[in-house]
Amino acid sequence: MQSKKLGWLLLSPTLFILGLFGIFPFIYVVWVSFHEWNPFAANPEKLFNWAENYRKVVFDAQFLASLGVTLAFVFFAVVSEVVIGYLLAQAFMKNFPGKSFFRTIHTLPLIMAPIIVGSIWKLMTTPSIGIIPNLLDTWFGIDLNIGQSALAAFSITVIMDIWHWTPLVTLSLIAALVSLPSDPFEQAQIDGANKRQVFWHITLPMIRPALIATVFIRLMDAMRTVDEVLMLTGGGPGSATRYVGVHIYKEVFPRTNYGYGSAISVIVLYLSIVICWLLYVSLIAPRNKKG
Amino acid sequence: MSDKTENTAKSGFLPIETNWFDRLFISVVIWVALSLFWMRFIEPLGLSVWIAAAISVALGAHIIRKG
Repeated sequence: MQSKKLGWLLLSPTLFILGLFGIFPFIYVVWVSFHEWNPFAANPEKLFNWAENYRKVVFDAQFLASLGVTLAFVFFAVVSEVVIGYLLAQAFMKNFPGKSFFRTIHTLPLIMAPIIVGSIWKLMTTPSIGIIPNLLDTWFGIDLNIGQSALAAFSITVIMDIWHWTPLVTLSLIAALVSLPSDPFEQAQIDGANKRQVFWHITLPMIRPALIATVFIRLMDAMRTVDEVLMLTGGGPGSATRYVGVHIYKEVFPRTNYGYGSAISVIVLYLSIVICWLLYVSLIAPRNKKG
Repeated sequence: MSDKTENTAKSGFLPIETNWFDRLFISVVIWVALSLFWMRFIEPLGLSVWIAAAISVALGAHIIRKG
């Protein structure tokens, strides 16, 4: 009993910090989402309006459109990052000249602040001064203008996200691959398994927990992308890259619509949790033996 | 913690093994989804969102007990 009390005592600083910076803000956002609150309006008071903000959200065509492009962005970005990250991790498992140099170089985007990444990509993709439109025009005759073409703007935001976050996937998968025992691979080699069979039946099942954890982290991160995209395209052209994070930013800061912005935030959090939970259930949850 | 979770996990009509917190979580997820769906498609026909809340509570109780 004494040790149980001591355990709670030792845990209390962590629980306090978690409560103060994690749980309290979440409860506050949920509470605000049930209010009409514009602190810079003539009446700056919070007015309780039941689920009116949520009712507004489900009919908000701009939000629903932004949700659609966000899900497309998340799908293309996360799938590409996992595939490229795995291939890079496998490449870094082998010895080749300059391996340490390439590993350091490839990790550099990870340490950059998203706002800097957005600025760099804006400079690189601005027509007439950017290197990417210049090279595409010189080599292939392609006129890349992310200020006019919705598809180009969307693609460039996806590529920027892949460039920024693939190193995270690579590092997690290197850690997973390094920790694998060599026995099953040797056994498979003796049994005459080819590379594809080794990947599907040995490597993939053994790195699955690390892979799923990485996908969860990237999925939740990609769902709330704001700063990079805001810097690069500002959500345009039109609403082609107005992802939910950008939509919330534009709703909360320029329009100071705090209650409605909170309701959208809660729905985005809900969707992130549900998507991760469905992935967990479909991939790693213990099956019901009766079912 | 994992030992305790495994001990309290049970097999009901849900396709996965769950403990009481999993079933509460599933109930809340269904409640939110049903409420949003109701507000978008059913409420304009004149049926109050409180009906969705009542259905969710009943469904939630069933999932927590038998899920």
